[in-house]
Amino acid sequence: MSGVDTANAVRDSIYRACLYKDDMAWEKWLELCDDDYYYAITAYSPEISNDMTYLSGSREDMSTMMNMLPKHNSDHSPLKRHCSVYTVDVDEKAGTATAVSSVLVYQTQLDGINCHVDAGESKVFIVGKYHDKFRVSGDGVKFIERIVKIDTRRLDKGTHYPI
Amino acid sequence: MARSRNHEQWTAKPSLASDEYVDSRIYSDQEIFDEEQEKIFKKAWIPVCHESEMPKAYDFRTTTVAAEPIVITRGKDMKVRAFLNVCPHRGNMIERRPSGSFLEGTPSGNPKHMTCMFHAWQFDMKGRCVYISRQEEGYQDRLQKQQVGLRELKCEVYFGGFIWVSLNDDIDMTVADWAAGSLECLQPSLDEEPLEVFHYHKAIIPCNYKLWHDTNCEFYHDYLHYHNRITGFNDAYFARKNMGFDNGHINVGSFEVNYDNYEGAHSRETISFPHLPANHWYMIDMFPGVNFNLRGSSLRCDMMTPLGPDSVMIEFRGLGLKSDDAKTRKSRIDHHNSIWGPFGRNLHEDLLAVTGQGAAMNASAEKRQILHGRHENETIHDENGMRHFYEEWGRWMDRLPSNPDKPFKENSSAVRAV
Repeated sequence: MSGVDTANAVRDSIYRACLYKDDMAWEKWLELCDDDYYYAITAYSPEISNDMTYLSGSREDMSTMMNMLPKHNSDHSPLKRHCSVYTVDVDEKAGTATAVSSVLVYQTQLDGINCHVDAGESKVFIVGKYHDKFRVSGDGVKFIERIVKIDTRRLDKGTHYPI
Repeated sequence: MARSRNHEQWTAKPSLASDEYVDSRIYSDQEIFDEEQEKIFKKAWIPVCHESEMPKAYDFRTTTVAAEPIVITRGKDMKVRAFLNVCPHRGNMIERRPSGSFLEGTPSGNPKHMTCMFHAWQFDMKGRCVYISRQEEGYQDRLQKQQVGLRELKCEVYFGGFIWVSLNDDIDMTVADWAAGSLECLQPSLDEEPLEVFHYHKAIIPCNYKLWHDTNCEFYHDYLHYHNRITGFNDAYFARKNMGFDNGHINVGSFEVNYDNYEGAHSRETISFPHLPANHWYMIDMFPGVNFNLRGSSLRCDMMTPLGPDSVMIEFRGLGLKSDDAKTRKSRIDHHNSIWGPFGRNLHEDLLAVTGQGAAMNASAEKRQILHGRHENETIHDENGMRHFYEEWGRWMDRLPSNPDKPFKENSSAVRAV
């Protein structure tokens, strides 16, 4: 793949990952990821003056977690991701690429509070950035790492869904 | 066909003793909430942060107790002190950041001082006023700096490095006295070596603060948590004792959690806190709204700031040992997050439940009885923890929890209804 083709493939993968997660198509999301994929949600807390990790795991960990969702009581209010890919840097020699994207996650209330009153209301749920790494091969690009660096630390009820 | 229950039946007293249920108005009434702020939160010891959040001289943290803004400072002498975060001049909030260091100067003030940006009055780490801009020109000899220091609050560092404050100058007990033995089950584990906060996030939940405390006080709600059912429900779990202590505190005895039973989870044995048996789990709930929760490898602490009768801010902290190496710390964080993080399995479920309670118990809803009547030999699914809390609440408020229009003192004998 040329550098331009790789950059386009990176952008395409980031946007497809958003759409799959929006649709809660977790397996399709993970199919975009290589076997050694690592996922984490991090934040910096000015309260405790420390970097924090709110969630992390391998591709297998994520798959297990998503498969267990039906056994848990969750807020089923869907999350939708609005993403803009800012930068894509391709290292052709190493066969890798990195990308930085901004992401806004909106939550549309379904069953989280009092559905008769709240269902249908959309709110900004999380503000942050995706820091992604990709492996580039003849077959295309695969995620090998996603660090979601979020600014939002007031997370209220939280969620069982990855961002 | 007969209805399940009509209005009269629905609002009638239950066939339980008066201490086995509470009136839902205690969770929604503005007057009761205002009274709680004055009678309880301005009088008790309240933990506000952890000393690892301000490790160096001149570090500070800001917080709020009973709607009063507070600044916690660490002086050059390394002593931690607490003050109202309010300038004595025109009542402005002095420090606006959540944390930081006074070592650096500010646009209006000098290094090593707290400076009110409004008119540049400056205070040292002991709360003494050390500078009034154009003092002589404006006040001549009518006002001295010694007269306008900050309002200092009672402050102690206790129990694994937590910082406690009280707005009550007349409180006649130390934090240890206030805890009344409730912390002893975890004291060896928390006081063996310094702790460090590795996790912080906050939630503002549309429910009364007591509903969150109730949830922390009762384990019957483990039916809500698949994780807890699969890792916990066995004879040892159901034998855990739920014990009350003076001043309304409770704790729940320990047992060995089978983390391996939950797919993707692992034993916490190798990095247990000092003196804690492998994979054991203790919980302490302190009046009026604090929770310490040690699950083997990580300590969670919930600090509640009531914002209104139907709104509470909960600050969640996770702590490990300051001596942790990177690998150990990562494991503690993973263990903490898997159930207690904002994306974890259990915390989200708990918060959903109390959000539902808050929605159903709004101020306009007809009053109803909330049952706290389970008796199981003071073990884990007994609701004696909540009953113990509300007995103390009634005493402080002089209101009967089952009928807050009545005084507690004259009606406190719990008589089982026929």
